[in-house]
Amino acid sequence: MARVAEEDERAFAEVVRRYQARLANLVARLLNDRECADDLTQEVFVRVYVHRRNYRRGSKLSTWLFTIAANLAKNEIRRRVRRRNWFSLDALQEVFRDSAMVLADSTEGRDRTLEREQLQQVVGSAIATVPEKYRVALVLRDIEGLAYEEIALVLGIPGGTVRSRINRARALLKRKLQPLLRREVAP
Amino acid sequence: MKCAQARRMFGAYWDDDSTQAEREWLESHFVGCAACRKEYEEYSRALEWVAALPRVEPAPDLVERTLSRARRAVPVADHMPAPGVQWVPVTAAAALLVVMATLISPWLGLGPGPRVASRSPERNAPEQLAPATPAPSTLAGGAPVPVPVAGAKSGSEPLASVPDSLFDHNEDVEFILDPVTLRRGRASLTRAPAGPRGERAVITF
Repeated sequence: MARVAEEDERAFAEVVRRYQARLANLVARLLNDRECADDLTQEVFVRVYVHRRNYRRGSKLSTWLFTIAANLAKNEIRRRVRRRNWFSLDALQEVFRDSAMVLADSTEGRDRTLEREQLQQVVGSAIATVPEKYRVALVLRDIEGLAYEEIALVLGIPGGTVRSRINRARALLKRKLQPLLRREVAP
Repeated sequence: MKCAQARRMFGAYWDDDSTQAEREWLESHFVGCAACRKEYEEYSRALEWVAALPRVEPAPDLVERTLSRARRAVPVADHMPAPGVQWVPVTAAAALLVVMATLISPWLGLGPGPRVASRSPERNAPEQLAPATPAPSTLAGGAPVPVPVAGAKSGSEPLASVPDSLFDHNEDVEFILDPVTLRRGRASLTRAPAGPRGERAVITF
């Protein structure tokens, strides 16, 4: 990153190559929007480049990148909420109905791949319905695998708050996936 | 009670962040409580689904597009202030403002407190003031003396020559028009010169 700050374009390209997949995945999971993920990931790197001289040496680059990405994703979520242009509860229920049918048909020889994709779509949509502040903590922890301490740095909140947000997010997610979980987990 | 306590420990147990004693307690609880065991199975299954979500791959040309946009972007200069130092100039500016307001407010007539006139180097020079006549008066030697006219503005003149309307004539300030000589705060009556009573006053600070 020190080389990036000194106008080394090759170093910047290396930073982009190294972190683009993680950031794109983070943004895509936060927004549940594959198309928007590339644009936002690009925006993250442009901001890093523009503010490269403000990077504090000694701090972790990935933490800085995740912080910018999480903030941009949160802004985008809020913008979508304002526009009421995001995944509605009705649409989620529709996905659940479809997925339930797919899972029910699985004994009749339906393609397992299709079933898995459907399940992934349901889980992704369920994550997208978790309130934003819990969702970011959940995705950073359970998808990106960040440590609690690093999540605290990314979000700028105490470690205890991170834990409580993640616990809350998991409980909400489990409740949203309950219809599928009841089928999966035999009594 | 035990079940509620057990369910609160699911997160730490899943993250392998619980103590050995907590793990053993929870596992022994699972043996005897089918409901909690099922609850934890659902909990862990949901998190397995989340963890198993496929990674979203970025577009193949993302690096080139990002570099292209970054080349057009204008870098921002390093303006990160040192943390914890910002309060110094703010506090200093606030203190300066308070001091200036305190010094200036008596001259602006803002405060209800007593008026304080600053002393000029010519404070010991006796001065004659015309009592009420708008026409300019003269000193004994014939030099013109400014007439205290209400509403007159102070300019760059010495304080001695500034009309005393500069000192706000509120009701709490009383000017004695009888011939009085004030010397270092001690008032003493002087003999009035010829003419109507109160025509002239000699005030020395």
